[in-house]
Amino acid sequence: MLAQQKLKFEFTVLENYRTKKFMLRITDLFARVEEKEIIKGLNLTINPGEVHAIMGPNGAGKSTLGNVLSGRDGYQVTGGSVMFNGKDLLELEIEERAREGLFLAFQYPVEIPGVSNMEFLKAAVDAKRKHAEQPELSAVEFMKLARETSKRVSLDQAFLKRGVNEGFSGGEKKRNEIMQMMLLEPSLCILDETDSGLDIDALQVVANGVNAMRSPERSFIVVTHYQRLLDYIVPDYVHVLANGRIVKTGGKELALELEEKGYGWLETGAV
Amino acid sequence: MSEQVEQLIKKEYAAGFHTAIEAETLPPGLNEDVIRFISAKKNEPEWLLEWRLKAYHAWLEMTEPEWAHVKYDDIDFQAVSYYSAPKSMDSKPKSLDEVDPELLRTYEKLGIPLHEQAALAGVAMDVVFDSVSVVTTFREKLLEAGVIFCSISEAVQKYPELIKKYIGSVVPQKDNYYAALNSAVFSDGSFVYIPKGVRCPMELSTYFRINEQNTGQFERTLIVADEGSHVSYLEGCTAPMRDENQLHAAVVELIALDNAEIKYSTVQNWYPGNEEGKGGIYNFVTKRGVCHTNAKISWTQVETGSAVTWKYPSCVLRGDNSVGEFYSVALTNNYQQADTGTKMIHIGKNTKSTIISKGISAGKSSNAYRGLVRINPGAEGARNYTQCDSLLIGDKCGAHTFPYIESKNPSAVIEHEATTSKVSEDQMFLCQQRGLDAEKAVSMIVNGFCREVFKELPMEFAVEAGKLLEVSLEGSVG
Amino acid sequence: MTDFQQQAILLAAQQQPVSWLQDFRARAANDWLAQTWPTRKTEHWKYTPLQGLQKTLLPAFGQSTELDEAVNSDLIPLDAIRLVFINGVFSAENSTQAECVVRFSEANNEQQLLIEKYLGKIVQGERHLFATLNNAWLGDGVLLHVPRAQHLEKPVYLVHVATGEEVAANQRLLIVLEENAQAEVIEHYITGNNASSGFVNALTEIQLADGADLHHYRLNMEAEHAQHIGAVHVDLQRNARLRGFALALGAKLMRIDYQMNHRGPGAELDLQGVYLPRNQQLVDYHTNICHWVPHCTSNEVFRGIVSDSAQAIFNGRIYIHKDAQKTLAELSNKNLLTSNKAEVNTKPELEIYADDVKCAHGATISQLNENARYYLRSRGLSRAEADVMLSFGFINELLEQIAQSAVHDYLQPRLARLFGRELSLELAND
Repeated sequence: MLAQQKLKFEFTVLENYRTKKFMLRITDLFARVEEKEIIKGLNLTINPGEVHAIMGPNGAGKSTLGNVLSGRDGYQVTGGSVMFNGKDLLELEIEERAREGLFLAFQYPVEIPGVSNMEFLKAAVDAKRKHAEQPELSAVEFMKLARETSKRVSLDQAFLKRGVNEGFSGGEKKRNEIMQMMLLEPSLCILDETDSGLDIDALQVVANGVNAMRSPERSFIVVTHYQRLLDYIVPDYVHVLANGRIVKTGGKELALELEEKGYGWLETGAV
Repeated sequence: MSEQVEQLIKKEYAAGFHTAIEAETLPPGLNEDVIRFISAKKNEPEWLLEWRLKAYHAWLEMTEPEWAHVKYDDIDFQAVSYYSAPKSMDSKPKSLDEVDPELLRTYEKLGIPLHEQAALAGVAMDVVFDSVSVVTTFREKLLEAGVIFCSISEAVQKYPELIKKYIGSVVPQKDNYYAALNSAVFSDGSFVYIPKGVRCPMELSTYFRINEQNTGQFERTLIVADEGSHVSYLEGCTAPMRDENQLHAAVVELIALDNAEIKYSTVQNWYPGNEEGKGGIYNFVTKRGVCHTNAKISWTQVETGSAVTWKYPSCVLRGDNSVGEFYSVALTNNYQQADTGTKMIHIGKNTKSTIISKGISAGKSSNAYRGLVRINPGAEGARNYTQCDSLLIGDKCGAHTFPYIESKNPSAVIEHEATTSKVSEDQMFLCQQRGLDAEKAVSMIVNGFCREVFKELPMEFAVEAGKLLEVSLEGSVG
Repeated sequence: MTDFQQQAILLAAQQQPVSWLQDFRARAANDWLAQTWPTRKTEHWKYTPLQGLQKTLLPAFGQSTELDEAVNSDLIPLDAIRLVFINGVFSAENSTQAECVVRFSEANNEQQLLIEKYLGKIVQGERHLFATLNNAWLGDGVLLHVPRAQHLEKPVYLVHVATGEEVAANQRLLIVLEENAQAEVIEHYITGNNASSGFVNALTEIQLADGADLHHYRLNMEAEHAQHIGAVHVDLQRNARLRGFALALGAKLMRIDYQMNHRGPGAELDLQGVYLPRNQQLVDYHTNICHWVPHCTSNEVFRGIVSDSAQAIFNGRIYIHKDAQKTLAELSNKNLLTSNKAEVNTKPELEIYADDVKCAHGATISQLNENARYYLRSRGLSRAEADVMLSFGFINELLEQIAQSAVHDYLQPRLARLFGRELSLELAND
């Protein structure tokens, strides 16, 4: 990054920090997976209501970022800090992060045969409500909510009775992710390559779901390799992640530029 | 296709000749005097004679195991001769020049030239003919690296402390019926010691040959890999074609101390008997290794010979992080019977074992995999993966799988998979459509089936093993 | 001969059996006394030694009592032909009558002939120690006979209640389905209270004629101290189909053998099983699927969770006779060990003498899937909650395939409760 740009970026961060309460602030984050350093000094601040797209070449560390933020085992943070809604995120267990309002929509949601989708969703909603000191929903209330939500993502109700993601197509799995997001009402949603493997119709359903969730209190990190998804979910900021750090930040037009030029010109640093 | 499969091959057992050489052979029979004779012949210390006699008395109390999936006529242990040595070996030759030329010709005929100039590059060889070690090549070169490689009889004389410390430490005298018999009457075998931190500069190899009629071969191999050392060892075996069954009851003990690695490969081609199932070797062998911390033992075997095989090369994973591997191809044809597999005993933490077994049954043969994976309560984080595949060629043979899996630790992960099928008609069709005859097609498919195991063999022997398989399959297709 | 063997015959002398079964019993008594008692080296009893049982002083055969209301309300709510046995004794007042079911003691001539034709013929007594004992102890039994092409409308529900007294009980069931007949049978073993340490020996023989179709459930839900030895022996003729489900909670001794014989081409078998021993309990399933003829299929899936100091044994043999070409046979056995003191011994076996077959077996002993656990936790479930959900899911995968919804709905919440889970939603459904 050029010194001038870096200065500007840091100024923006500082400005946001002064004027608003940030939701997420990643400072100088280093993380490794099995001895290999993947995130190398990443900085990112997200304010409530913002949509941030993170783009970058394969192997840049895009998916790693989602896994690190959600606290997956085997992803070891070796430096830096992450503040989330006023708490030290890195101190929290996986489920505590989820209950605090962090949601990761997986690129490849795992199939869990034998565990009923409905039971699982209820347990997740209960856990979240309990954490927020709200009363648990009754079975009937929950069933009603689940049915309505499944309609919103065009997911057949039969899926509620099946095992978690069991035998779901790629599109159905992604819609199930969005449905969970709607049920859990997180404050920060991380969509990890949600567009991968989706045809245009499924993409639209997913994007509509996300857009319907946008609000001044909720933020999104949209991780994607292609610009296509950003036609549907229009970001406020686009960041380029390369070699474990953010190398360029811009508005939504940056995505178009990347589509045209590829990532090569950024990785070599010849901006 | 099955008709073609039933008609392949009619080649002779190429190693089936007999060498006319004057031998000193004990009359058949087993008693204390025979054991005393063997011990005296080898000028053994008193403790070893006592050790043998203890084994003998234990053996008298034991019964032959009957659980294996094999059938054979009762063995008359009094009809076997327990010692036979070429006369010319009375005083052991100092160099190859002194070795009986008839013996040298025998090995040349078997494709194993003993002159170092002609020998396989990078392979040192100990050659056991009936009950005695004939010659060990490249000894001086190995000694430069501190590696001891000699016959076990010689080791008893020269390195008694090592022998006393390790013999029977992995396979105790009373371990099983045949191990007890071997402990009583073992005649020769190889001894290897690799000192601390040494990587053995060449492949070590022992070649076993049974020549005399009515003799049993009872060799004993002991390999000690000291801390941080590494050795690759290969054994091969053949015998003349005879109508009587001959007994081979060997014991192999491996000790891999901390951080050491032993790779032990076997190409077993004992005479399997004729097409009617007459004759052939009874191969009742106990092979076991113990792994200390971070050590690794890898068994690779290609078994094509013997009338009856009863053999389970095993690993006792005593030290933390130790690794045991077993790669096996067992091919049976005609009336051959094999009951073979492995035992992986997980004692240390984070111990890991892999078992890949490929069984091929043809003719009227019977081929069984028998294995044990045991996870002891203390084997935190142990892992095992087992894959057993059987291939049937023809509808008169049998293929069996008997895995025993025992776990007493909740953190262990054990996976076992087994399949049985015939040579795929699609594969056959493809090969034949591309112009291969049925025999070639089958041997190619079988070779492919065994690839995972062959790639574990030292290179020279991988090629050999492939050819051996082809020859052994002869007559099974068509 | 052991004391136990002698004791057992002395006990048999106290029974008042059906007259036309006297010879059958007497022959079996001789065979039983001639059998050698298994030792630790006997392959079939390698992991479940019978030394404990051998030392047991056999209690007398039970007496029928009232059916405890608590037990009655804990039975499967099912519109069924119900037969209730209390301490091994038939309880007429708690049972329903139906034409297709008859007790041996009340069989008419035609039924007697049928019983004599099949009884003790499907099981090979000489190879099964306790089948011989069941023959010797045969005081009475139940025949289920479904004539050609008849489809039973209601399931047959056999309930065996142990009230908690120390008694011995002998159970015998003979199922004969004629050509193209269809039926559904549920055998349910249940205990009234937790004090029982009696001895139950239960044997079921099943003859499925050409095209017959049977759903069979065997649910062992006895109390901790029970000693149960059971077996199901089946002959499947041409195109016959059996769908079996086995469940065993653990007990002091719980050994169940399944012997399946494919005797006619085109026969199909699906067998699923779940075992859940806890505390000091033991469950031992031995299954033996024999393909004697070509073109048959078998598919077997057993799963177990072994906790505390419990022990599970699974032995699954597939045997393919040389004539059984074109066989498809598969077996899968998966285990979860949840404690340092628990133990699993599994032995899947293939014994194959025909070449044109596709056979496979797999066995695993493992832990919960790390990815699945992460997924659940990332949605806010605690590690403990996630583990409970995944453990139950591991067996629920099989429960979900139970065809009879009353059995499914009965088992699912009860087994879930074993994992400390209340399933509210299944019931709130629809």
